[in-house]
Amino acid sequence: MSRLSNSLCTFLAATMLAPLPAQAAGDLLVAPTRVVLDGVRGTEVILNNVGAEPATYRISLELRRMTPDGKLDEVTKEEANALEQAALSMIRYAPRRITLAPNQPQAIRIGVRPPQALPDGEYRAHMLFRAIPKAQPVAPQAGEPQGLSIALTPIYGVTIPIIIRKGALQATAAIANGRVETDENGHAFAFDLSRQGDKSTYGEIRVTKPGLDKPLLVARGIAVYAEVEARTVKLPVPAEVAAQLTGPVKIEYFESHSAGGGLIASAQTALK
Amino acid sequence: MFNKAKLLTAGSAVMAVALVSTSANAATANADARATILDQITVTKTSDLDFGTIVVGATGGNATLSAASGAVNCAAALVCSGTTSAAAFSVAGTAGETVDITVDSTVNLLSGTDSMTASLASSDATLVLAGGDSFTVGGTLAVGANQATGDYVGNFDVTVNYQ
Repeated sequence: MSRLSNSLCTFLAATMLAPLPAQAAGDLLVAPTRVVLDGVRGTEVILNNVGAEPATYRISLELRRMTPDGKLDEVTKEEANALEQAALSMIRYAPRRITLAPNQPQAIRIGVRPPQALPDGEYRAHMLFRAIPKAQPVAPQAGEPQGLSIALTPIYGVTIPIIIRKGALQATAAIANGRVETDENGHAFAFDLSRQGDKSTYGEIRVTKPGLDKPLLVARGIAVYAEVEARTVKLPVPAEVAAQLTGPVKIEYFESHSAGGGLIASAQTALK
Repeated sequence: MFNKAKLLTAGSAVMAVALVSTSANAATANADARATILDQITVTKTSDLDFGTIVVGATGGNATLSAASGAVNCAAALVCSGTTSAAAFSVAGTAGETVDITVDSTVNLLSGTDSMTASLASSDATLVLAGGDSFTVGGTLAVGANQATGDYVGNFDVTVNYQ
């Protein structure tokens, strides 16, 4: 207990030092942003109310499936396959609903209770942190009796993956078809990332150009989940970076530092 | 203290785990200091989605709120007035981290038994965090012919997803 409160106090002090933008009810901080468990040992995720008012947050487990364009599609509990159902049933967490004063952090404890006969594999659910909106006051309509008044309230939150691995799992990846795409939203660097094996790959993309000492593009937190064999990675880039993305470039995919930082895949390509 | 401030500017949360004494009873106990640095994400709402006030006539039309500018483009049959704004969110996290943004594509607005539908879109589907990141949500409100006046309310989900 003293360990927990100690860490929370330090965390609180650290959080209050951080510059925060204008605050609304329901604003939130979540740390860490990814959880991988490979045993019975559990962990904690910190949820902090960084808004200016007390807010009630709901913590839930959701299912998502990666699509070929790398998006995470929502999957209802009725549509869940065996892997997804196993993930939902073995992840324990508490609390699931918590009211926090401004700048009050709360540790969400996460544990795993794998069944005896659990087959080797990678199991995943996504933990959703979201504030429950307060009842809305009806806006007064003084002076404009003929009009429609519209109150559209965003309910906003964060999801982080909770991944459970059992057994010796392997995966490899390959990069192909690097390209610059331009549409009405601006420029993006895109490529195809394929994966083979019985687990997901996760890491950092680095795009370098010969003659430049700094990478043109670094994007951390790129996953190819086990339910897809390939996905498109499309990363928005500013116009000045897009202008440099020509000729020969090297695209590399590294494991995250916490996983060793090794090279997963790389490709040399000539951009148009 | 300096280290802590430095880590925070890198967008990380510092969680000091504990001071673990290797031998609590020994007269000269060694102490290991451990700190776990966690990647963090902060999402704050900086503006609400506001279509302003719409006066409707015998024919309906669309009111389109630009995610980029927050301005409303109103069909000829409608009169739009008042201040409008796109919903806006700021996202802070570790530099270089990639996050995906999902927004409900449609939302149903209710005023008693009357209803309207709005389609929604985010300014960004993916952000590679670089500090001071934000995204906005705009949409198109389909106002029916002789749409009943009233206060229409609805909720929509906006989620910042880590892969």
